[in-house]
Order: sequence, then structure tokens, then C-alpha cells
Amino acid sequence: MERIFRPRSLEELDRIIREDSTYLTFVAGATDLMVQRQHWNDALSLVDLTAVQEIREHLEVRDDQVLIGAAVPVSRLIAHPILQQRLPMLIESCRQIGSVQIQNRATLGGNIANASPAGDSLPVLCVLGAELWIGPQKNGQFEISTIEQVMRNPGETSLAGHRYIAFIRIPFPREKNCYWYFRKVGQRKALTISKVSLAVLGWSEDGNVEEIRIAPGSVTPQIRRARATEAVIERQVLTEALIDTACQVLQKEVNPISDIRSNENFRRRVCGELLREALFKLLWEHAR
Amino acid sequence: MQIRFFVNGKEVELSVSPKRRLLDILREDLDLVGTKEGCGKGECGACTVVMNGLAVNSCLVPAFQLDQCHIFTIEGLRERPWFPLLERAYVDHGAVQCGFCTTGFVMSTAALLANAAPPLSLEQIKWQLAGNICRCTGYAKILAAVMDLSQQQSVVNEIKLDWQSAIGGR
Repeated sequence: MERIFRPRSLEELDRIIREDSTYLTFVAGATDLMVQRQHWNDALSLVDLTAVQEIREHLEVRDDQVLIGAAVPVSRLIAHPILQQRLPMLIESCRQIGSVQIQNRATLGGNIANASPAGDSLPVLCVLGAELWIGPQKNGQFEISTIEQVMRNPGETSLAGHRYIAFIRIPFPREKNCYWYFRKVGQRKALTISKVSLAVLGWSEDGNVEEIRIAPGSVTPQIRRARATEAVIERQVLTEALIDTACQVLQKEVNPISDIRSNENFRRRVCGELLREALFKLLWEHAR
Repeated sequence: MQIRFFVNGKEVELSVSPKRRLLDILREDLDLVGTKEGCGKGECGACTVVMNGLAVNSCLVPAFQLDQCHIFTIEGLRERPWFPLLERAYVDHGAVQCGFCTTGFVMSTAALLANAAPPLSLEQIKWQLAGNICRCTGYAKILAAVMDLSQQQSVVNEIKLDWQSAIGGR
């Protein structure tokens, strides 16, 4: 017999987790879970995180950061004027998640917990340095984690033992000399699963790259920053030769697979070309 | 489990299996067969309905998340005073061919006009309707119909008002 828990508060949610001994499956917008038929059918005890008001509704913008409930639908983020201004790369990646119908249901928490290397928001959350607040709370405190720590393998997270994502805190990038890039390559323009994507966030002045963060999507089993590639560029003056080198390093650093959507060679090459596009755009900005 | 929600403005109370899809509840339990099933996995938009004012795929909404929600289907939209104008635009532009995708497109169109800030560019309309697939028309006629509607300020205002007072639900 299936059991559905719809806790109305964080306290109720944590109590269910403490007291229930069965295997619990957490669900938010259900747009991924319901498509994974076997997983969906096998889930006998479901905990609906969208029932918890704080997780479903909380969206708190401060001067330098935003705290987002893990089950807030991404369409609410897309429509948010301050987030459009301060986190344009997050908005762009959310706009690429499925379709309008999906965006009205899908959540950042679900995108992360589903742990697909093709999750559209993940490379962006990674370069933004998003902080994941993991429940249940211990002594009134959430455990703080990151995308890189939580994502273990495709479909596998470190959230075993009935831990869940409650909130996502995203610091706003320092605006001065900031540069960002996000592009997803799929079979078609919209409503497509990514073959390869790339998120870049950096700060540079007069062609001198102060800091750069690079995270590719769909080309590694976990979403990780490409730190070897970053090291090539950081604190260097951007030139065409340096861009060439960086693209080559990134192509070696990623580890794509061949599957129904694309093959290893295409993914590796296009990933490098996305970085080339990102860095050339940056170069042109300085040339202007 | 017992759920209480609103369909086309009327309260419905049902005893359902918790993981049952909204799509099946509408078609099989409530005999609202205007909503179609295409792919059954959120890619084609044929099953689009409006949930609390927003377009969603009814194949991806489980029964247990329906409690207290407001659902509108094509049968409910047909009763709205502005609906004939939307219908007229689709007819005038020849935006209907086999008709299977049409109810989904009409739901998305209404939600788009209700929720988006005008003026809408063709690019914006394309993006907003990307969750609906049509295999007959090549989209040009559908886009022309929606573009035409989006430029009729009185229709758009009427839909927006109706959304606020009735369809949005909360």
C-alpha cells in the first residue's frame, strides 16, 4: 500500500523522517520522477516537499544573496525582476529547462537531487558557488553542502539516509568587471535534453583574467568545475593562443560518454568550442 | 486517498489512487476528454491544462498534489466570455488541422496571454509555445493566430481580468 506524506512544516517533515523506518522517496515538481516509470512505481512511501510551505514558497532576496526554497517552481525565478538583474545566468539556464509547462512545476531542488549530468541548472549553480541547505535539521541547523559534494554519479547523490535539500543560497556575483556565459547544445532549440553545456563566470580587467570558474554539463559523470582549465586562464592576459590552450586542456579534462543523444567525440569537441566562444566573447568585450 | 479540488470552477471530491495522473482523472473519472494524451512524458503538450493559473502537463501531475488546486481544462475555457475570440483567431488563421494538439495549444495560448506582459515578439511566442508539438501545421498558422490575438489589447485585457478573478484560483 502506498503512503503519501504531505507535511505542512519543516518540523513535521523532520518528525516524519525521524519516526518512519521505511524507505522514503522525496518528491517536488515530479516532472522527472513521474517519467522514470520504474522508480515512480517502486516508490511506496513518498514525501511531498511541495506541501511544506517554507520549501515551496520561500524566496528571500537580500543585498548580496538570495535564499530559495528547494521546491519553488523555476518559473517564479524566471519572472523575478531582481534575479533577472543579479543572476542572469541562472535565469537563462532555468529558461532552458523543458518547456513553460515543465518550468511551472520543476524546481532547483529536484534538478539537483535528480543528479543528471544533463541537469540544466547544475553547471550554473556550480560556478555561482550555490550553497545547499540539507535537512533534517540537527540542533536547529541545516547541514551546508555544495553541488560538487552532493552529486556522486549520474542519478546518485550523497543524500542517502533520508536527507533532503531544503534551501539553496546563492551569493550574487560581484558586479564590477563580471562576465558570464551559458550555452546549452541540444537536438533542438527548446525542450531538449542537453548534449553538452557550459557555464562560465569570471572577473577580468583590461584583458587580465582575475578569476574564472568553468563548469561543463553532460560531459562528466558529476558536475564539477574544470579546475585544470581554470588554472590555465586565471591571472593571465587573455590572448588567442591562451584560448587555444585552454580549449585543449578542457577537452582533456572532460570525460564524456556516447549515448542515445550524442557521442563522445562530438561532446568533447563541442565542449571545447563552447569555451572558445565564451572566451572570444570576453576578448571582444575588452577590445571594445 | 480522498482529494478535494476544483475543476473548471466546480468543487470535486474523489477517492483516487495517490499516484494517479491528473490526465487520467480528467479523462476517465470526470469524462473531460478534451484533454488529450500524446507522449505521456511532458514533451508534447497535448495534455496541457491550467493549474492555479499556470500551464502544466497533466500527465506529470500526481493526484496527491491536487488537493485544493484549481484546474481549468478546455471544457472550462469554452465557457468563458472571451473564448469565441480565441477560437475565431485559430479558425481565421487556419491554425487547426487534425486537431489533436489543438486543445493543448489553446490552453498554452490562453495562459500565455494571461501571464505575459505585452507586446509579445514572435520569438517570445515561439519560446512560450515550445512545450506544444504539432505535426500537421508547421506552426506558422498557429503562431500567426497567437500573434494576432496578442495584438488585440481588449481580448488580452479581458483574459487577464478573468484569470485574476476566476481561473488563477488564488
